[in-house]
Amino acid sequence: MLQAKNLTKTYGEQTALNSLNLTINEGEIFALLGQNGAGKTTTINCFLGFIQPSGGSASINGVSVAENALETKKYLAYIPETVMLYPNLSGIENLEFFSSLAGFSYGKDELSSFLSKAGLQNTAHNQRVGGYSKGMRQKVGIAIAIAKKAKALLLDEPTSGLDPKASNEFSEILRELAQNGTAVLMATHDIFRAKEVANRIGIMKEGNLVSVIDAKDISANELEKLYLQTV
Amino acid sequence: MEALLLKNFLRSKGLMTGLLILFVAGLISLNIGKHFLDKNKEIIEKTAHYQQESIAKNVEFHPKEIGLLLYYVRFGLVNDMPNLVGLAIGQRDINPSLQSVTIRNLEEQKYATDLMNPMYQMLGNMDFSFVLIYFFPLIIIAFCFNLISEEKEEGTWSLVLSQSRNPLKMLRIKILIRFVSVLLVLVLLLMIAKFYLAIPFNAAFLAFILTAILYVGFWFALAWLVASFHKNSSQNALILLLSWVTLTIVVPAGINALTVNLYPVPEAFSTVLESRDGYHNKWDEPKEPTVAKFHQHYPQFSQFKHPEGKDYSWLWYYAMQQMGDDEAAKEALAFKEKLKKRNAFSSTAGMFFPSIHTQLSLNALSLSDMDNYMNFIEKLENFHEQKRLYFYPKIFTEAAVSDENWKKFGLEFYQEQPSINWVKMLLPLLIISILCMFCAKLKFGKDLMAR
Repeated sequence: MLQAKNLTKTYGEQTALNSLNLTINEGEIFALLGQNGAGKTTTINCFLGFIQPSGGSASINGVSVAENALETKKYLAYIPETVMLYPNLSGIENLEFFSSLAGFSYGKDELSSFLSKAGLQNTAHNQRVGGYSKGMRQKVGIAIAIAKKAKALLLDEPTSGLDPKASNEFSEILRELAQNGTAVLMATHDIFRAKEVANRIGIMKEGNLVSVIDAKDISANELEKLYLQTV
Repeated sequence: MEALLLKNFLRSKGLMTGLLILFVAGLISLNIGKHFLDKNKEIIEKTAHYQQESIAKNVEFHPKEIGLLLYYVRFGLVNDMPNLVGLAIGQRDINPSLQSVTIRNLEEQKYATDLMNPMYQMLGNMDFSFVLIYFFPLIIIAFCFNLISEEKEEGTWSLVLSQSRNPLKMLRIKILIRFVSVLLVLVLLLMIAKFYLAIPFNAAFLAFILTAILYVGFWFALAWLVASFHKNSSQNALILLLSWVTLTIVVPAGINALTVNLYPVPEAFSTVLESRDGYHNKWDEPKEPTVAKFHQHYPQFSQFKHPEGKDYSWLWYYAMQQMGDDEAAKEALAFKEKLKKRNAFSSTAGMFFPSIHTQLSLNALSLSDMDNYMNFIEKLENFHEQKRLYFYPKIFTEAAVSDENWKKFGLEFYQEQPSINWVKMLLPLLIISILCMFCAKLKFGKDLMAR
């Protein structure tokens, strides 16, 4: 599970994240909405340990990220907005490489099945990533996250650049992961995708989490209206 | 992970091209070394032949006066060149490895050299040590300047950080692959050199190989240190290239300038003057004092006197020649001492700079350094003295030319064994590399997780 307690990040006079309190339980998908600069990526980066919070704490599975950044790596998987891979390696080799970084050693068949599950066509598995489209790289990123079997999944605009069908498949994968007990935190601009896939939705503005809504209590249109009013 | 990092490395066209160019440059340098060795061998063979021929001709032309004959006859001493010189030519292209001298005054003959194309002396030779000291670091810089920064700039670093609990391990393997690949080229070149230049596998060659490996290791340690600063690619490249310019060009030139200023050698000029005046002036002076000085130097020849009232005798002539050396002896000795001091200073200062230390070590192992040349000159002095002592009594007693077996005067050889001080040779490189890696360890510990 993911937990933020009074999580704060300031850059000089500017507050990027203001005393965020948030708990995402096992099996829950939480979508963060907000404009650029609202603090979504900062929140994710605090959980990843990429930036040190100025105050409060982010913890994964009860372990503080700031104090045990390497320990918490075990529990989390991450898909950045743009998945960048090694162009000289094939899709399957990239997956094998990143999995081995996390300490897994899968056979070729397993690796291939992860890629297929992430929606990458079989013909592309053994092609060099240098020739991949953004969407294809994104799918390898998803496969890397699935293969890590992490307790927490952090996503920064994961569906940007995916076509609607791929986005839809991605939602399916997220639901499946959640059913297996993964806590998912997803920053996104896609209101409709958020409504469809998330259990709860938070709207951020200027570093503050302004409102948190249960997805089942609101329609997509109402959510859009609320979002526009908030920001 | 290791296999995939290796695959990624091998599939990079740029890196493979770099290795190939390095290899080709190495091959060219080996060829230059081979050419140098062959040329030296040819010079020695020809000189051995022509020395015999020239002595025979002179004996034919001057059969009556041995004093006159020995005015002309030259005796050659070879500074034997180990084949390792083909890898580090050092001073051997400036200082001749074969000196032919008459028994007349030596000082003037010491610095008489072959006719040389001055272009070669200006540019130096692209021997293997040049490729090692100047070119290898450039390839290492090209391989390592973006060790981490390429990951950051290409966007893979955040995924690496989120996946790995020990990203340092991956970086270690990355640099290790690069190190091993450069090492393979180095060892391959040295193995080719072993057969192509027929270098015996002895302690000197082993020390040569180890020094080369440690020098390459130093540059990797430096690149590792720079990687630990977590700067971007262009800053890393700048830092490493500045280090290269400093270590291979600025510091050597600086130490050279410092040496020249600390130990000026006005003796170089005054020795020549003293030596010239030492004998030229004797033509205009009374003969007896010259001969008396000669008797002082060589009491064993006191029984030979200059015939009274005569204008000329071979005793006086060779006594006069001897004065050229005797009167310059003090200056010549001072000159030698200064050169030794210069040498000692640059080798001490060089210990702090791997490029200088490596160059000096490789030259010392190949017997192409200043020390070897000075030892050779000392040997030449002995050689010259032996010839004098052998011929002086024959000249003074006007021995018959035909009584001498002239065929026995072939080329003589001076063979030095390199003295290998393993600790002094290897430790400085090792210490500096370890220091770099230690600082890198401290730096990496602090900032590795930052994206």
